[in-house]
Amino acid sequence: MDYLFSSLGTALGMIMHLNGEVLSAVGTSLYTSVTAILFSSLFGVAAGAAIGLGSFPGRGLAMTVLNTLMALPTVVVGLVLFGLFSRQGPFGPLGLLFTPWAMIAGQIVLATPIVANYTVAAVAGADPRILPTAMTLGASRLSGTWQLLLEVRFGVMAAVVAGFGRVIAEVGVAMMLGGNIRGYTRTMTTAIALETSKGEFAFGLALGIVLMTVALVINLFLHQLQHR
Amino acid sequence: MNFMENILRLNDVELLRKSFRLDIPQLDLNAGHIYLVEGPNGAGKSTLLQLLALLMTPTRGVVQFCGERVTQEAQRQRLRRHITLVEQNPYLFDKTVYQNLALGLRLRDVRGDLQRRRITQALGAVGLEGFESRRAKALSGGEARRVALARAVVLSPRLLLLDEPTAGLDRDVLPIFEKCLSNLPAHGTTVVIAGHDLDQSRRLGGTVLKLDRGKLLQSTSDSLPLRKESA
Repeated sequence: MDYLFSSLGTALGMIMHLNGEVLSAVGTSLYTSVTAILFSSLFGVAAGAAIGLGSFPGRGLAMTVLNTLMALPTVVVGLVLFGLFSRQGPFGPLGLLFTPWAMIAGQIVLATPIVANYTVAAVAGADPRILPTAMTLGASRLSGTWQLLLEVRFGVMAAVVAGFGRVIAEVGVAMMLGGNIRGYTRTMTTAIALETSKGEFAFGLALGIVLMTVALVINLFLHQLQHR
Repeated sequence: MNFMENILRLNDVELLRKSFRLDIPQLDLNAGHIYLVEGPNGAGKSTLLQLLALLMTPTRGVVQFCGERVTQEAQRQRLRRHITLVEQNPYLFDKTVYQNLALGLRLRDVRGDLQRRRITQALGAVGLEGFESRRAKALSGGEARRVALARAVVLSPRLLLLDEPTAGLDRDVLPIFEKCLSNLPAHGTTVVIAGHDLDQSRRLGGTVLKLDRGKLLQSTSDSLPLRKESA
């Protein structure tokens, strides 16, 4: 128990003294995850609104694909994108592998189905009078859909927050596509995995506390949204 | 304004929706007139209003708005800027009353002082002066109906369609509602009201359009005895 308590004390000390290594991993995690969720929100909300409001052949199939993609293992995404970004892959010449952008690409793949699925649920549960009302006031179908998204904004925000929760906590994509390079692509999750395996338990614990705090803040925010 | 000007013409129009069939052999709506669509429940009044609002495409027949034959979706959307439909159970956006009224104006690029003046005027016409900053979701049912009417009137549409606008409305509010509606034709707006209240048509001085099981039977003038205008 002494070992745990002393590690916890060291971890809290690292956080309070703004340890450079800890800050670097936190910064990389937030930078990649926030960037990824911005792109995922664009793609996911648009796809979710199109699927949720549309009536087209293959809609059921699109829903099934979205549901399947939600459970996509992070290492599988990492594996596929590794193939695409590696030197022999089609995007190899771009030199993205082991850069934050490769991690961001992987996280976009992970978060987009989640944002889309939650958005489908939000628009499908919206009042059916919203879109016709907007259109009778002179809106096009596109601007009417925008009005509808504004009406279900708390559901859409919950979708974005759920997607962010997924990418900030993932390790597979960050490890395989980022390469866990110190001060460059090392995120909170990859740093925890590495430092703990090296015996730096206190360091891993410090990052774990920050990660849990981020997750807690996200969930509190989500809880607030769901009760509006 | 030419009060004989034709706003909307339907010729040999048929609309099929699931098991329902709407059949309009001929319908002419003129500028600055009030029409009351009358018929039993399920006669197709709401469907007819949706068709007149260019929200639905007929299966067969010709629809002309201001002399322009309506055939394409882009054209339908452009012409809808001149038409406003107030549903039986209108939806108010989760914003303030002012923002609800400003939405349609913004889509027509009416902003600034002109927007504020028109909104104040429209709210005054339905007896809701000073309601601008109230949350729409917090209004009573009657107030919400009046905001929905103001939201339509503020756009100065050429064609205003109202689905059962006074059903369930308090008696003291009815005169405000009807006064607002009766003032519209003088400003060139054609008003079509779907409902059961024939007395309302007489009070407003409109033309009755009879609808039965999806078929437009006749249109008659308002005053007693009912005078047949067209078949």
